[in-house]
Amino acid sequence: MLAFLGSAGMLVALLGAGLLVWRGVVAARTDRHANIDSAARMLLSGSVVAMGAMVIALLTDDFSLVYTANHHARATPFPFDVATAWAALEGSIVLWGLILAVYTWFVLRRYRRSPDRLGAAALAVIGVVGVFFFGLMATVANPFEVCVQAANVGCADSSMWPFAAADIPSDGPGPNRLLQNHFMMAIHPPILYLGYVGMTVPFAYAIGALALGVAGPDWLRRSHRSTLVAWSFLTLGILLGGWWAYEVLSWGGYWAWDPVENASLMPWLVATAFLHSGIVQQRRGMLQAWNLILVISTFSLTILGTFLTRSGTINSVHSFTQSAIGPALLGFLVLTLVGSFTLFSTRADVVATSPRIDSFVSREGTFLFNNLLLTIYAFVVLIGTTYPLILEAFTGTQVGVGEPFFNRLAVPLSFLLLLVMGFGPITPWRSTDAGLLWRRTRTPVVVALAMGLLTAGLVSRNGWVVLSVTLGFFVLGTIAGLAVEQARRRADKMSEALPEALRKVLTGDGTFWAGQLSHAGVVLVAIGIAFAANLGAHTEVVLSPGDAVDFEGFTITYESPFQVSNPSKTTVGARLTVTREGSFVALVEPAANFFGGDETGIPTPDVLHRPGGDLYVTLIAPPTATGSARITFDTSPMIWLLWLGGLTTVTGGFLAMAARRREREVVADRQTAHV
Amino acid sequence: MSERLRNLITVALIAVMAVALVVLVATNPSDPDRIQSIGSRIKCPVCQGESIANSPSTMARDMLDLVAERVAEGRTDQEIINELLGSFSGAVLLDPPASGSTLVLWLTPVAALIFGVGVILWWRRHPPQVTTAETDAGTRRLAPLMILAVAFGAIVVVAGFFLQDRGGPASGVAAIDTENLDDVSNETMEAVIAANADHPQVDGMRLALAERYFQEGKFRTAFPHFLAVADSTYASDSQVVTALVRLAGMAWEGNGEVDAALGLLDQALAVDDGSAPALYLKGQVLWCGSNAFDESAGLFQQILADPELPDESRQTVQNDLDAVNARTACT
Repeated sequence: MLAFLGSAGMLVALLGAGLLVWRGVVAARTDRHANIDSAARMLLSGSVVAMGAMVIALLTDDFSLVYTANHHARATPFPFDVATAWAALEGSIVLWGLILAVYTWFVLRRYRRSPDRLGAAALAVIGVVGVFFFGLMATVANPFEVCVQAANVGCADSSMWPFAAADIPSDGPGPNRLLQNHFMMAIHPPILYLGYVGMTVPFAYAIGALALGVAGPDWLRRSHRSTLVAWSFLTLGILLGGWWAYEVLSWGGYWAWDPVENASLMPWLVATAFLHSGIVQQRRGMLQAWNLILVISTFSLTILGTFLTRSGTINSVHSFTQSAIGPALLGFLVLTLVGSFTLFSTRADVVATSPRIDSFVSREGTFLFNNLLLTIYAFVVLIGTTYPLILEAFTGTQVGVGEPFFNRLAVPLSFLLLLVMGFGPITPWRSTDAGLLWRRTRTPVVVALAMGLLTAGLVSRNGWVVLSVTLGFFVLGTIAGLAVEQARRRADKMSEALPEALRKVLTGDGTFWAGQLSHAGVVLVAIGIAFAANLGAHTEVVLSPGDAVDFEGFTITYESPFQVSNPSKTTVGARLTVTREGSFVALVEPAANFFGGDETGIPTPDVLHRPGGDLYVTLIAPPTATGSARITFDTSPMIWLLWLGGLTTVTGGFLAMAARRREREVVADRQTAHV
Repeated sequence: MSERLRNLITVALIAVMAVALVVLVATNPSDPDRIQSIGSRIKCPVCQGESIANSPSTMARDMLDLVAERVAEGRTDQEIINELLGSFSGAVLLDPPASGSTLVLWLTPVAALIFGVGVILWWRRHPPQVTTAETDAGTRRLAPLMILAVAFGAIVVVAGFFLQDRGGPASGVAAIDTENLDDVSNETMEAVIAANADHPQVDGMRLALAERYFQEGKFRTAFPHFLAVADSTYASDSQVVTALVRLAGMAWEGNGEVDAALGLLDQALAVDDGSAPALYLKGQVLWCGSNAFDESAGLFQQILADPELPDESRQTVQNDLDAVNARTACT
C-alpha cells in the first residue's frame, strides 16, 4: 500500500515536473500564461506524498519496502527513525525532490503576482532539474521498491512493481551507526539540502534570462532572496556538519578537508563571491557575464558535490553504496556545463555589460579582489579534491591530497580575505581619495594592533593567533567606525540624539548592515579556528579506577567504568570527575555506543564546554576487565567563538534577506556622505 | 592639535606597535608539535582519507608511536616520513610534493591567480564591446563547434572515469568471491579490497592476498592487510587468529621482536585459546627467542593433547618437544 502510494506520488511529481517544463517553455515563448499552476501543484503534492509514504513506512516499521528493510530497525528510536528517510541514497533523493518542489512553489508565487516570460522560463528550467531528480527516483534510485525475498536481516531481492507479492523481513539492520549517534544527524542533511537545492533558483533565472536573450538586472534582482536563503542554509549546514564532527567523531576536530566537506565548501565559496559581485551589477551595471559564470558554477558545483558524495567515488560516511546514480549524476553535470556555457557563448551579445571600473581603489575594486580570492580558493579546493581521483582513474597512480596541502594554500587566502573584508565596506563606490580611506582606517588599525599586542602579551605569541586577532579587530573596527561615522553625520543633519541616529542608520540600510553582521561572524570564526588549532593541548593516558591525572589546570580522576543498556544500543564508558583548584567542575562520561549486536563500538566523546574553551575527553579503548581505560584529553581554547561566529554569519544572511530596504533614500544618503 | 600633527603621531604609534608585534611574534619560543605535524602529513592506510594524527585506529596509533620514537631519536621530518612510506603499504603522503605528478596541484592555483589578474587588467582596458551583426554571426557559427568539442571532452572524461581501472571486479561488491581466488591477480585483489574496504566480506580476500605476500616474503606489503583483518569488525575469529599469528611471525622472524610477537600471540589465544598455530608459534618464540624451555614444552604438550591433530603435524611438534626437553638450542 505504501509502496503504491509512494510510487504514485513520485510519478505524479515526475509528471508535474515534465508539465512544468512544457508549459513553462510555451509561456516563455508566447507570453501567454496559463496552466503553470497545476503543474507546480502536481510537483509539490506528489513529492509531499512520496516523502510522507516513506516516513510512515519508517514509523510503522513497514519492512515490505526495501528501503525500510535495509536502512531501518525496529529498535531505531525517534527521531532517528524519521531521519532514516534521508540517511541513505534513495531517501536522500526524495528529500532533494521535496525541497526542490518547495522552492518551486516560492518561485511560482512570485510569478503568479506578475506573470512574465522570465518567470515562466525560470520555472521551466527548475522543471528540467525536477525531471532529472524524479527521473533518478523512478529508475536507478527507486525508494519504493518492494522486498520480494527477505534475508535474515534486511532484504535480499526486490521488485519495482508496487503490487509485487512482498516477502517481509522480520527486522532490518538499522541506519548507519555514525548517523544514529547524535540528534544532529537528523537535521544536518535537510538544512544542507535547503542550501544546495536553493542554488537552483538563481541558476534557473540566469538560464531563463539567457535563453530569452533578455539581460539586465532583472534575473539577478528576482533571484536575490532565494540566493540569500540558499546561502544562509548552506552556511548553517556546513556549520552543523562541523559541529557534529566535533561532538561525535571523537578526534576533537571539526574540519578535515574531507572530500565531502570540500564538496559543500566549493559551492559556498562561489556563492559567496556571487553574493558580492551581484551587488556590483545591481549598483553599477557591471560584471553581468561574470555573475552568470558564477551562478552556473555554483549550481554545477552542487551537482558535482552530490556526485562526489553519492556515487561511491569517495569512501566516507556520506557515500552510500555504488549504483548507477554515479554515471547519471556525472552525465547531468556534463549536460549542465555544456548546455549552460554554450547558451552563454551564443548570447555573448546580450551578456556583455559596458561600464568599466573607474579605479581599483573603490568598492568595486575590493569586490573584484574578493571575487578573485574566493574563486581561487574554490579552485584550490576543487583541484585538491578531484585531482587524486582523475589521476588515479587515468594512470592508476595513487596520490594523497589532504589537510597539509589545503592548509598551505587556504590559510593565506583566508587571511587575505579578512584584510579585503576590512577595506571593502569603508571604500566608497567609483573611486576613493587616499585621505578618506586613511581617516577611516587609522583608528581601526591602532585598535587592531593594540589588541594584537594584548594577545601577544597575555595569551600567546603564536603568529596565527596574533594575526587573526589583529586582522579580526581591524575588520570589526572599520565596521564600528563606519556605523559611528554615519550616525554622527545623521545626528548632525537631522538634529537627532546619537543612539537614535545610530539605530536609524542600522535599520535604514538593512541589507548592508546585515552583511556587516555576517562579516563580524566570519571574524569570530577566524579567531576561534586560530585559537583552537594552535593553542590546544593533547595527552593520552591509561588510567585504572581511582587514578588521577593533571591536565591543563584540571585534575581528572577516573572513578569507575559504567555500562548502560537500552533496546537500540549498549553504552560502555568511563566515569571521570573533573576538578579545578580543588573544587568540583563536572562529571564527564566518554563512552562507546554498541548498536544492535555490533562488536565494535562507536566512540562518543564527552565535551566539557567552558568559557575559556572546551575539555574534550575521548575513550580510546573501553575499560578492560580490571577497569583500566585508555583515554585522551584535549583542550580546544575559545572554540565556542567558531560556533557563535558561524551562527552570527547565518543570522546576517537571514536578516539581509528579511530587510525591507528603503533603497533610494539610503543610497542617496550614503553617496552624499562621501563627497 | 592640528590634523597634520595628529596624523604624524598616529603613523608613529602604528609603526612602533607594528614593530613590537612583529618582534614579539618572531621571538615566540614556539615548540611546534612535530609528532602531530608529521602525523597530519601521512594518510592512515586502513582508514578513509584520515591522517594518522586524526585516526583512532590501532594502526594509526602504532605509526604515530613510531613517529614519536623517531622524533625522540632526533631524526629529521623527511627521514621519518620516508621510513613510514617505505614500511607501511598503503600509507600515502597527504602533503603532495611540488614535483612529479603532483606539481600540477601547486602550479595551477598560481596559474589561476595570474590568469585572474590578467583577465581583470584586460577587462578594465578593453573598450566596451560593440555588437555587430558580423561578430554575432561569428559566434553563432562557432557555437556548434564548441558544443562538439566540449561534448567530446566530456565523453572522454566520463568514459575514462568509469572504464579505466574501475572496470572488472573492483566496481562491484557482488564480485567478491572469497572461495576461488586462484586466478585473480594481486593487483586486482588490491583494487577490489581498496574499493570495498568497508565491506563485511572483504576480510577473506584481504587474508588471501596477505598470505600470498607473506609466502613471497613481502612482509611489509603483507603487514597492513593482516593488521586490517586483525582490526576488522567483520572478520571471523579464525580469520583474526590467522592474521594475528602471521603478524606475530613477521614481528619475530622479520624484526626479531620477541615481546611484540608474544603480545600478538596472546591476543590470538585470547580469541581462541586452543589455536594450534598460535600455540606452536608461541612455543617456538619462547624456545628460540628467550630459551624458556619449560613454558615452551608446556605449549607443545598442549597441542599434542588435541586428539584431532593431523599425524604429520603431530610428528613435527613431537620432534620439537623432544628437542626442548633435551634443552637443545633451537635451529
